[in-house]
Parts: sequence; structure tokens; C-alpha cells
Amino acid sequence: MQLNVEIKRYNPEADDAPHWESYEVPADPLDSALSLLLHVKWHIDGTLSLRKSCAHGICGSDAMQINGENKLACSVLVQDLVDSDGETVRFAPLPSAPVIKDLVIDQSRFFEKYRSVKPWLINDEPAPERERLQSPEEHEMIEDATKCIMCGACTHACPSTWADPDYLGPAAMLKAYRYTFDSRDRGTDERLDVVDSEDGLWKCYTIFNCNQACPKEIDITRWLSALKRKAVTS
Amino acid sequence: MANKSKAINWFLHRITGTFLVFLLITHFWVQHYDSQVASISKTVVTQEQTTPEYPNEAQEAVEARFAPGEVDGYYNEDGSVTPYGVVMLRLADPVYAVLWKGFNILFLIVALHHGFYGLNNVLTDYIRNDMGKMVAKTLSWSLALVLLVIGLYSVITAGW
Repeated sequence: MQLNVEIKRYNPEADDAPHWESYEVPADPLDSALSLLLHVKWHIDGTLSLRKSCAHGICGSDAMQINGENKLACSVLVQDLVDSDGETVRFAPLPSAPVIKDLVIDQSRFFEKYRSVKPWLINDEPAPERERLQSPEEHEMIEDATKCIMCGACTHACPSTWADPDYLGPAAMLKAYRYTFDSRDRGTDERLDVVDSEDGLWKCYTIFNCNQACPKEIDITRWLSALKRKAVTS
Repeated sequence: MANKSKAINWFLHRITGTFLVFLLITHFWVQHYDSQVASISKTVVTQEQTTPEYPNEAQEAVEARFAPGEVDGYYNEDGSVTPYGVVMLRLADPVYAVLWKGFNILFLIVALHHGFYGLNNVLTDYIRNDMGKMVAKTLSWSLALVLLVIGLYSVITAGW
């Protein structure tokens, strides 16, 4: 099939503002959306910039807005985006993120928020002889949250992030949940200090956009609600 | 980083939201479907055909409260009670007025907290500088306070 691929292009050195450009791309219904972009880059316009690495939904580098929804380009098939020949697929950078060029966003703020919730194990107790054990039941509490690949699809799908650039966002707070509810962690107070703030948990209005955007289908809103209950009862 | 916890306001928002569900259902029911619930005034004043089942003292109190001609504004042209009349008769009730005044005051406080907490969330979402946030918060909570005073005055004095 032949598709019309529209890409929101922006080169800060040459353009005043982002603009849409169209390309005719041959595609198979079972191709990934990423392959459409790679066709454009490799065969039509080599100046197109995008991030991609593993192309298998693991590294999380090719999150972008596809037909208006935040998705991983490598994890969505052409047949799930269009029904027939000649239809249009639109690619844009993740909404509300500062754009470096074309589909490449500046993630520095995103990772700054991530680091602020102390996404590591905090435990000053003497280390046991072998390892800090965790039962399967204790692990089950955090297993869903450990699937996060930090692609940013959720945070940039959240209206609170769009309105307030300082909002921590679902990705960072999911990490806070993942460590706070880890049975081996002792850093609850330190992390709650960060997430129980004006730009933290309370700006999550349970709109569920994060759940919808997550390519790993993590029940993010549910875990953020658990973190809210923890903040209320602590 | 020391923070003043915002958890209590969020928790109260949930509590007031839950309260509002029941308060709104009750309000809607007594206002629009069965305005005689816990209100003997309306039964007496509208002079229903059937004899009301309540103590004679209560009936006398209602009749004394509403002298002939005093309840004119409570009726439509077809003789039915106006929504205003329903409220006023309930708040003037010799037996249940305290219950309804308490209900309305609770309704008022819960709705104001719920609504203005939500409004403040929206304001602080979109107002980026600290001074602007403080001004918006002060103005909105001051407005809530004014509405609370007006509401309390109206509920307490109505029918008494």
C-alpha cells in the first residue's frame, strides 16, 4: 500500500516555527510505524531527525505522537493506524516537550524530575551476608511499575504536564511508587517529601491519559493513587 | 526538602466529594420529587384534602406562623408551590427546620470547600509565578469566605 506520511518538521537553525511536510511512502500493513519514518530518512530526506535504538519496544527512545496519540513508533503497526491505501499517518514530537529538531525532544527536564524522586534503593541498614531478599508477594506489589522503560509517553500525554511544566509527571512519580513500595526500601519519607508537594501527586487528577499512552500497559493511575494514600496515611 | 503536606486538602476533597453525592441526591429529591419529606409546613399551608398525621400543636404552630396572605409569594398562578416556596416552607417548619438548616449549612460548607479547592487547583495549574499564585489563592478563598457568610446568613434567618 501507498501511504501519505506527514511529519511535523522543525529545524531551529532554519525555521521560525514547526511546520508539516508530506511524503509518499510505500508500506506493508505489518510494518511498524517506525519503518515509515526510516523510509523517509533513508530514501527521501536524510535531514529528518528522530531517536530510535532497539526498535523492539525496550529502549523507549522512539516515543512520539502518532495520529494524535503518544506511542512508541516501533511498537505500533501500520495496519493499526490506517485502514486502506492512500490514508495519512501523522508524526509529531511528544506534546509540550521542548523540540531540539524534528521528532527529537529535549529530555533533560524529564530526567531531572526523574532524578528528583530518588529512583534508587535507599536502605542504610547493614547489608546482609548475601542479598536483601524479597518474597514473590512483596515483589508483586511493584512488578507492574518495574516494567517502565522511561519513554515519556505518559508524562507528555498528561494535561497537568501540558499546563504546568514543573509538574513531576506520571513517569517520575511511578518510579517514586516503585521504590516506596519496594519491601527492601527505607526511603519513604525522603521520597514523600518530594512527591507530596504543590507540583507533585496532587496535580494528578486521575484523567487516565497516562494509562492510555503507556506502551507497556502499566496501570500508572492506580499506582499513583496508592502513593497518594501512602502520603495521606504517613 | 521540608514541605508542608498538601495531603490533607486532597483527602478532604475526596471526603467532601463523597458527601456531595448524598447531599445532592437528597437535595434533588426533596426539592423536585417529594417536597413533603420531613416538612409538615407544606402539608398544612397547601391545605391538602387528607388530614395530615402529626400532632395538633405542630399544625397550630404552622398556622400561627403563616397568617392568611403571608404565603402569597409561595404560589404559582395555578396554585402549585413555587420552588422558593418549597424551600421557605421547609426552613420555617416548626418541627424539622433545625434538621433542614443543619443539612443546608453542611451542604454549603462541603460544596464551597470542594468547589474552591478544585478552582485553586486550576488556578495554580495555569498561573506560573509565585506572586500571581498567592494573589489568586487569596482572592478565591476570600470569595469563598464571603459566600459562606452570605449563605450562613440566608439559611439561618430564612423562615425564622
